[in-house]
Amino acid sequence: MYKLRPILKTYYESLEENKILGMKCPECADVTWPPLPICQVCGSTEVDWTEMGNEAIINEIRFEDSSVGGDYTFRKANDFFADKETPYCISIGKFPNGTHEFHAALYGINEDNLEKWKGKLPFVAPVHFIEMAGGFKAVGFKIPTE
Amino acid sequence: MTKKLSRPVSVIGTSTLGQRYFDDPEYDGLSIYELWAYACHQAMEDAGVKPKDIDKVVYAHMANFQTGGNVLAPVGSMMEWAGLRGKPIVHIEQACASGYMAFVEACDAVASGRYDIVMVAGVESPKHFIPREQPAFRIKPIREYDAWWHPGRALFDTTYYRFDGVSDNLLTEEHGKLYIKKHGISEETLDDAYNAMAVNLRRGAAQNPRACERKEFAETAKENGYDDVLDYMRSEYNPKITQYIRKSGSVLHNVAAGAIIVCSADIAEKFSKKTINVVDYASSSNTQRYPFCFHQMNVDVKDALVENGTDLDNLDLMITTVMTSGEQMDSAEVFGYLPDGEGYKYELEGRTAYDGDRPINPHGGDISFGHAFAASGINMISEAILQMRGEAGGCQVNKKVARCLVRGMGGGHTTVGIVLEADF
Repeated sequence: MYKLRPILKTYYESLEENKILGMKCPECADVTWPPLPICQVCGSTEVDWTEMGNEAIINEIRFEDSSVGGDYTFRKANDFFADKETPYCISIGKFPNGTHEFHAALYGINEDNLEKWKGKLPFVAPVHFIEMAGGFKAVGFKIPTE
Repeated sequence: MTKKLSRPVSVIGTSTLGQRYFDDPEYDGLSIYELWAYACHQAMEDAGVKPKDIDKVVYAHMANFQTGGNVLAPVGSMMEWAGLRGKPIVHIEQACASGYMAFVEACDAVASGRYDIVMVAGVESPKHFIPREQPAFRIKPIREYDAWWHPGRALFDTTYYRFDGVSDNLLTEEHGKLYIKKHGISEETLDDAYNAMAVNLRRGAAQNPRACERKEFAETAKENGYDDVLDYMRSEYNPKITQYIRKSGSVLHNVAAGAIIVCSADIAEKFSKKTINVVDYASSSNTQRYPFCFHQMNVDVKDALVENGTDLDNLDLMITTVMTSGEQMDSAEVFGYLPDGEGYKYELEGRTAYDGDRPINPHGGDISFGHAFAASGINMISEAILQMRGEAGGCQVNKKVARCLVRGMGGGHTTVGIVLEADF
């Protein structure tokens, strides 16, 4: 039976405790992050919370040069991050216990080290909790300490 | 399980209003109200119908700056401007897929048997807005109004939508990564194919008075000292925005309005000698959180059409959203319009240009023709209609277009496939 329960509140409050939650399906074992109340593979509503861990495997690095004057949406992106200075790019990653790839910010990448880190793909990156200007956290990652 | 239309639907009228930037002198003193009303009346005149003949309107608009929410829908006033006050209207707001979905809804309305003649119409001004407490012709550039993108960025939960920082360019450039991985071509070859595509599309746009950018890249190249246009396309004049996408391969944003009239096929001939039948359509919605989601939606829509028994083997023309270069090649191959893994060769050889043997987007596509968000789908379908009628003008393809696939995508995000067939 479908349970009415707070999904977003639980998720964001856990982020404040530096804990990332997803949902696991007891019927097909699919793991969804961010959490959803229904299994996206088998449709079960019996999904339950599962911890995603504190690192991800980064498979791809995406980099956009917003200085070229392309899409202005990218230039706006940093406006809602408390940290407006540290460079980041977009990555494609996967939690070790997750079952789907995702897009997420990858901190520490800049034009000088881009090629070096591309050469290291795939690599494991620790979680970097992004402080959003609105007073909450979002999930990102950062290049590992060498 | 979808089914074929329970009542055949035909297209009998279209607008032909061009794509322009709002600071184009042609639009001096105009607002979106005049553009919308003009497009509606172009379509009605083309179909030979009067406002009293229209049974229903399906309205496509994404960035509603008339009422900005405020517990007021814009549709009532828009109906007055078009002379349609009192008629039923429904507003589709599905980002850049709105126009395509509005067309689909209009067809469903006719196919249901409830309405005989339905107009799909939309308007969008993505780079300008109507300032608060000002008359609508006093438009301002978006860049002077921070709060346009902000409400979206601040209000939506980015955890469940596109992650902040993942732009249209970055999302659609994944087609390039996938293409290289799948077909084993080099990044340089992909770059050349994308550049050739931009040149091909601009050649069509240069012949199309309705297009926004009408100067061929070859001419621009010469002005900058390049005899070979592809050398110019690889140069600093056309820098890379992402790993694969150059500036010439990214969508334009401009103002536009558009309208199309559909009706029950059994009365279509009363209005038009060049009726176009709506064979079938399908759509798929996905999230933007997962990699390669755009490619997956293409596969889902194609599968839905095929499962419905719709023949995609005999297409004479394909018109597709091209937010960035990779989208055109992926779409053409997934839907079988170009052979799998061979699309890049067709682009390099110019075969996809308006005068080639496998034309795609002869009007210029979103990266040269233009793109006005929610109105774009209507405008693209209109270009398909003009091609099928042989009325596209300078960018008319050099063969009869009996069957055409219009494939559209929007950041809502949704992909739509519509198959049209000439009935004359």
